[in-house]
Amino acid sequence: MVTSCLHDVTERWLCKSCEKTGNQTSIQLNIHEYLFGSVFLIHSLNDPNNFNFRHIIKSNEPSNTRRKNPYTLPIVEDLLQSPPQLTSNISNGHLTGFTDEFLSSLFAVKAEELCNRKFELKVNDVRFVSHPTLLQRRNKTQDESGLLLINIVFALQAVASHSVVKCYHDLSKRMGIVLKHEEQRCGFISEQTLTMTTAHDDGYANNTDISFKVILEKCILAQNIKKMYDDLCSTGLVSIRINKWIPLTFCLPQKVHQWHLQGKVIEPEDINRCLLSLKPYHSLLLLCPVQKIHNFSPLDGSPSLIRLLSQYSPLKNLQTLAADADLTLFHVYQLTAHLVYWAKATVIFPVCSTNKYVIAYDAPLSINSPLVDKFNELFPESNLIQTISEFSLPTSLGQKCNPLCHPSQQNQLVQMIIWMLQHHLLLQLHTYIQYIPLEHGFKKSSSGAETKTTNPTSKSTVSTSTFSSGNTVNSRTESESGLSNISGTPEPYSDVDLNNKDGNLESLSFTSVDEDKPEYQEELLLDFPEEERNAVFKIQSSNNREDLTLFARLCRKKYFTGDHHIEEIMYLENLRRSQLLQLLDKFRDVLITYETVDPAIAMFSCSL
Amino acid sequence: MDLIQKSRDSTDSEGPIRCIFFCEFHPVMGPIISCQVPENYISKELLDSISVYIITKSELQRSTITVTLSNYKILGFPVRIDDKKYARNAFQFNLCFVCDSTARTVHYEPVVTKFSDYLTAMEIENNFLSDGSLPAKLTPILKQVLHDLNTKGECALTEGPTATHLKVVKIRSDPLPVADHQVPVFIKPLPTQQWDLTTQHVAAYIDGFNHIARIAALSDVENSLVKACVQNLIYYGVVSLVPLFQYGNVYCTTPKLKVLAQNSELQKKCLNYVAKSQRQLPCIRDVFRMYAAMTRGTTIRDLCLRFNPPNLRINERKLVQFGVLEEIIRRVHKYPIYLGENAELRKSLSGAASVDEICCSTGVSAQQLEDQLDRDNNVVVLWK
Repeated sequence: MVTSCLHDVTERWLCKSCEKTGNQTSIQLNIHEYLFGSVFLIHSLNDPNNFNFRHIIKSNEPSNTRRKNPYTLPIVEDLLQSPPQLTSNISNGHLTGFTDEFLSSLFAVKAEELCNRKFELKVNDVRFVSHPTLLQRRNKTQDESGLLLINIVFALQAVASHSVVKCYHDLSKRMGIVLKHEEQRCGFISEQTLTMTTAHDDGYANNTDISFKVILEKCILAQNIKKMYDDLCSTGLVSIRINKWIPLTFCLPQKVHQWHLQGKVIEPEDINRCLLSLKPYHSLLLLCPVQKIHNFSPLDGSPSLIRLLSQYSPLKNLQTLAADADLTLFHVYQLTAHLVYWAKATVIFPVCSTNKYVIAYDAPLSINSPLVDKFNELFPESNLIQTISEFSLPTSLGQKCNPLCHPSQQNQLVQMIIWMLQHHLLLQLHTYIQYIPLEHGFKKSSSGAETKTTNPTSKSTVSTSTFSSGNTVNSRTESESGLSNISGTPEPYSDVDLNNKDGNLESLSFTSVDEDKPEYQEELLLDFPEEERNAVFKIQSSNNREDLTLFARLCRKKYFTGDHHIEEIMYLENLRRSQLLQLLDKFRDVLITYETVDPAIAMFSCSL
Repeated sequence: MDLIQKSRDSTDSEGPIRCIFFCEFHPVMGPIISCQVPENYISKELLDSISVYIITKSELQRSTITVTLSNYKILGFPVRIDDKKYARNAFQFNLCFVCDSTARTVHYEPVVTKFSDYLTAMEIENNFLSDGSLPAKLTPILKQVLHDLNTKGECALTEGPTATHLKVVKIRSDPLPVADHQVPVFIKPLPTQQWDLTTQHVAAYIDGFNHIARIAALSDVENSLVKACVQNLIYYGVVSLVPLFQYGNVYCTTPKLKVLAQNSELQKKCLNYVAKSQRQLPCIRDVFRMYAAMTRGTTIRDLCLRFNPPNLRINERKLVQFGVLEEIIRRVHKYPIYLGENAELRKSLSGAASVDEICCSTGVSAQQLEDQLDRDNNVVVLWK
């Protein structure tokens, strides 16, 4: 009774999930396997002979979808319920229900409105994507009969996302452009179609399988397309030379990143977002040896890439790398973007002794993991599990190296960390700072958005006001430095201050600049709302002019909104870590710190 | 950055239906649009160029076909009724929905199919479509469907002898299987529709603190049924799963924590949620400070000792629950791995299962297990 009730409700997706849970891995694979066929079609428009050629590649590997158990009996109850009739054109990863003739008639788009632009057709659960290209045959004059239509169609699963469809469309379009050029250069298409049609006609017409085999042996274009299809299915990286002349390289980011990030789909937009937030202090981490990249890049590849790779080190940030390789920073960004898109590299914060690392929460770590052996090969004396367990709590390189440590040991440790970063086993934690001056947040607890919107205006008024009062401020600093030379010496002062535990210095400053204090305080925090200012003044360190100036400056630049980590503030404001940490400690009543990953670069290691 | 966001939003958005048209194969004129709402949305020239995909060959009969053009997306379901009474021994038609080319249309597919079936039935019964006065009869229906589906998402048709109900059902991804140690929490009130008996029974025990196994015991419903029921509720977005609350749990902050400081809506929601009593709400700074203090290695017990949440008018269980639901914080799980020689232990402590899962499957309390793991030198515990 209860079961049947439940059945009704959950039927909707339970049916689906039952089908799928048979084999966990099959689902995993299926998510990324969109492509299961491609059609190459040449169609001559307005030809009296209606010349029409097609070459269809269907995936013929045994598919990874659920296999039917031959021993199952049909359940009578289910038959009575007449399950909703689902029309599907995919069975076991093959395209079914369409004859070859039918497919070619479907894609021989007649209307010129549909040519030379994206063509997308979804039939039941198959999505066909292509870019029909019109081209003029070389030896024919500019008349209608010489007009050919080339259409390279990819059959994808209908669930394929917009970005996947876009990538395949791009490939089809580029293929069209290349073929158009080759036809103009040497009549490539005319020649190839002739080879193909003769193969068809040579008595094999009845047996399409054999004729395709013959075509594949004789025809370069068919080989090119087959190679492209195989590459797409295996790695997602296409690198072919059409007609042994024009190189065509293409990368399907959703697929190509699978080799280092299993089970995660990386969309081109994710990569773009990461690259837009690149900063000079980030660093490049290659995922494979430099030699492998050299092998992959074409002969006429950018020489600046080679120069960059020659100077590469994961310990350098992009700025240093740019300086060492004698390239502009912008160009280094572009090269980085290129390497990241092609899954040859990832972006990290440069490895240094203050970086705090923890284990990535989705790191595939278990005894049976292949990574354990892989690690052991490189570092025979260590065990991956043992090594990484030390990063259960946030640990920095500096903490792990004691001064007695041999330099070679330290070097090995760095190598291990780099290896673990390459395999996305470690995440770096950064400290972020949030300024919350009042118990109830900002000026009014209810109007967070309001204060946010009013801030820019208040900010502008401030800058003008500081300008106008600039003279007075200057004069005061001068007079003050005359009064007490302590404040005149900038940095050691704060150290002294800290060491002496405020006591006598406090009182000293209190007595000496007692009268000035409220005034300059007021001025420094002029743009802060009344309540916030009072809250800041309650903090003892606000009596210290240096500290308050720094605090006000950083606060005004919006560094304390949780968008910037300590290292970024250090970089942008040219501060030392100790300075910043001291400030944070002094103003800890209004500045709350927390540790988390850098969202800009974390996308490759965790899906937050 | 904004641009990317925008393009992403627009491609994933479920755009409204722009137009509905009825296309048929005229014995003389070929494919024509005989009825269209609003008028002249799809031009005759456009139809001619894509008519192959609208009035199709027999292979594509009764399949959902979507053609994406540069500014439109046309979703149809070609139907052909064979009968001697028609001029060409068959009547072919296709009822199509037109949307923006960037919109998603998958969720309209069942609606188009059902609507076509309805029209087919009417045609077979009383020549509704082929008796010559089609535009006059069909236009009001199409108008109603277009309006109702775009505003209400559902539409009831009571034309003629048969009635039908069309409803746009959102396509959601399948929820993951539910585990024994997880805790379901209502994230919005249970809609007051007729749920099945099991759900009605189980829902009473979902209070945000009982885990699945406990709910099964309390409600006296079989464990797997509770799981199926909770999974179903997750599918409808009524319930969300959080990890079991224990004072020994460790959580860590995510980058989303900054949203709590910036978004006053979220702050309000948060304060109401985590308050010990509704009369006196806690301060956002205290709440934020507690979240910020959640790092790897700090248990909730430690935090309670440090902050004394009752004093701050904070309910620490609710605090953790809210954090997990809003993804401000994330549970840090412990994965014990056995590196010794014992084959059995190597299998059970391989690193694939967390302490929670092991406790749940073996029935050992977390404290006991951890004591035992501490004593064994061959066991390494990974926090992740």
